Amino acid sequence: MATDSSFSPARAAEGPNAHRFSFHGSGGSLFGIQIVNLFLTLVTLGIYSFWGRVKVRKYMMSQSDFEGDRFAYHGTGKELLIGWLKAIVIIGVSIVALMLLSAGALVYVVFAVFMPVAVVNARRYRLSRTSWRGIRFSFRGEVMDFFKISIMGWLLTAVTLGIAYPIWQNWRQEFLVSHAYFGNRRFDYDGNGKDLLWSYVLNILLSLPTFGICWVWYWARVQRYYSEHTRFGGGNFHSTVTGGGLFGLMFGNLILLIITLGLAWSWVLVRNARFFLGHLYLDGPLETAEIMQEAQAANATGDALSGFFDLDFDLG
Amino acid sequence: MQLDWQAFYLDGRSAVRRPATVQLQPSALRIVIDGGDTVYWPYESIEQTQGSYTGEQVRLERGAASAETLLLSDHGFLAALHQFAPARAGRFHNPARRLARIRLTILAGVVSVILVVLAYLYGIPALATAVTPWVPIAWEESLGALAVDHLAAPESRCADPARQRILDDLITRLSAAVPKSPYKIRVLVVDNPTMNALAAPGGYIVVFRGLIDAARTPEELAGVLAHELQHVLRRHSTRLLLQHVSTGLLMAALFSDASGLASFGLDAAQNLALLRYSRSHETEADEEGLRTLIAAGIDPIGMVSFFKTLQQKEGREPRYLAYLSSHPNTLERIDRLKSLIAQTPAARTKPLAPETLTELRMICPALPRKEKTPTN
Repeated sequence: MATDSSFSPARAAEGPNAHRFSFHGSGGSLFGIQIVNLFLTLVTLGIYSFWGRVKVRKYMMSQSDFEGDRFAYHGTGKELLIGWLKAIVIIGVSIVALMLLSAGALVYVVFAVFMPVAVVNARRYRLSRTSWRGIRFSFRGEVMDFFKISIMGWLLTAVTLGIAYPIWQNWRQEFLVSHAYFGNRRFDYDGNGKDLLWSYVLNILLSLPTFGICWVWYWARVQRYYSEHTRFGGGNFHSTVTGGGLFGLMFGNLILLIITLGLAWSWVLVRNARFFLGHLYLDGPLETAEIMQEAQAANATGDALSGFFDLDFDLG
Repeated sequence: MQLDWQAFYLDGRSAVRRPATVQLQPSALRIVIDGGDTVYWPYESIEQTQGSYTGEQVRLERGAASAETLLLSDHGFLAALHQFAPARAGRFHNPARRLARIRLTILAGVVSVILVVLAYLYGIPALATAVTPWVPIAWEESLGALAVDHLAAPESRCADPARQRILDDLITRLSAAVPKSPYKIRVLVVDNPTMNALAAPGGYIVVFRGLIDAARTPEELAGVLAHELQHVLRRHSTRLLLQHVSTGLLMAALFSDASGLASFGLDAAQNLALLRYSRSHETEADEEGLRTLIAAGIDPIGMVSFFKTLQQKEGREPRYLAYLSSHPNTLERIDRLKSLIAQTPAARTKPLAPETLTELRMICPALPRKEKTPTN
């Protein structure tokens, strides 16, 4: 069993060891779920929204497949509701405390502190509620470590006037990936921010002439880079997304949304999932017999907090 | 009827999936795992978590956190289960009911649209009406004082005690014609050539000098004051704020998962709603203001003639801008008021002394002019 992927022949070509992802969902079904969610949310004056959100996550997860078996989402509406209540209390108490201390301006500092907490805990919650073949994922990173990365990353970026941003993002990606587990097996990340530095600077220079469109190609490059440097079980992932493909996806989404005045949102979500998952595969041995269940506990407060900060969550 | 089905079994401890044969039995599933044991799963202990959509594998789980799982790819299994043990098959999805599900979804969609429209037209205004009385007057007064500090900065106010009393007397006369209110009405004049007047929460009415200059008779000024008074008495600013917040909550509930493009549309929708509620408040202030004038014995035609002056100054206002305006179209306002006057029995009115207006025109310090006009 090769533990170093440099032994596998052409990395770019899919060999017999390629394990594919795919997405089977349809915009129509998701739209149906959203409509029922809307109806139930209206008649319950908003309380149902937590259960509705779970339904959407369950659908998206159940329609995602790896090697012919679907993923599963195990979260519940009750967990989201409780997490939301806790998040409200935390935010509310902080704001009241700040107002009593007449330190209103510190609100931004407090929120800056909450962000890493929210990111880490949300990831921990979501991964713990996701499974494949019955085995749960988990995230075992600590908030303090992420906090340090955020501060150092922010400082480095500020000092270099933004040029070192890819390095900071790479540290972040390393933290998020290398503390993630599937069962008892850890994911690994061996990327280095310096590899993306030139591309980043080039894109900054090209921003103005291309009206910012060059960043789509950068984003595709980052996707490919992150995937390629994410390893699991003796193999590593590959993403075959191209800047052109991504641009086509985003442009198509925009047209769809404009024509339908936003109603095509469900179809956009499905298109995105199909695109990213369809271009992803794992190249390497998949020793399922060696992967054991090692589920970890987690609560949904971070998930709710991240909802307040409108943070994006992506798996992998 | 097929009773034996092919499946994969996951034991919840490792990621290996083992082929198994599942047999339908009266009260349980009999699962024979290849090269291993036979297990029985009573129907009551099984939860189906996947398999409601075409192409999705049927996933049956048994147990809590580290559940044992059965995966079947043929939905015929579900159909057979419903046929074989209908009494116990309630917890399992029935593929035959998919069409019904689509119909129910469409129904849910239609009802949702109706509910949203009803909420927008009636629900939110009703909610605001119900909640407004509970808002303490003290809150409104603080908010109003704040707003007035901005809109009518102390140094721009025209303070002339004698002429201010004329204004206050006029307000007192109008207030006497309406039921007693907890508000202390304070009228301020701002040295600004804008032809406008507004009511801030808590009883503050701000009149701009330009409006006093533009009024041709004291009845016109009284009409404007009556309109603004009604804004105060009916707590329109508080109601508008509540309506704005409710609309925002409705939008958030509708589209909690959307972002970006959708939220931009939501903002626009919320503003349109705000403008619509604002227009209805203006209409109410017009009508009730008119009734106040009549009850106070002042000729209501002043209100109409003032709007005519306003209309002349505005010029032609295209109809399609109606939805973007916080005020109803001026011509419509004039027509509505005229028909209201025609409907009301002729009331006893006493004309206001013309000195009222000429005196009030001097409430603000005179503009410095090239030729000095003697002032007394």
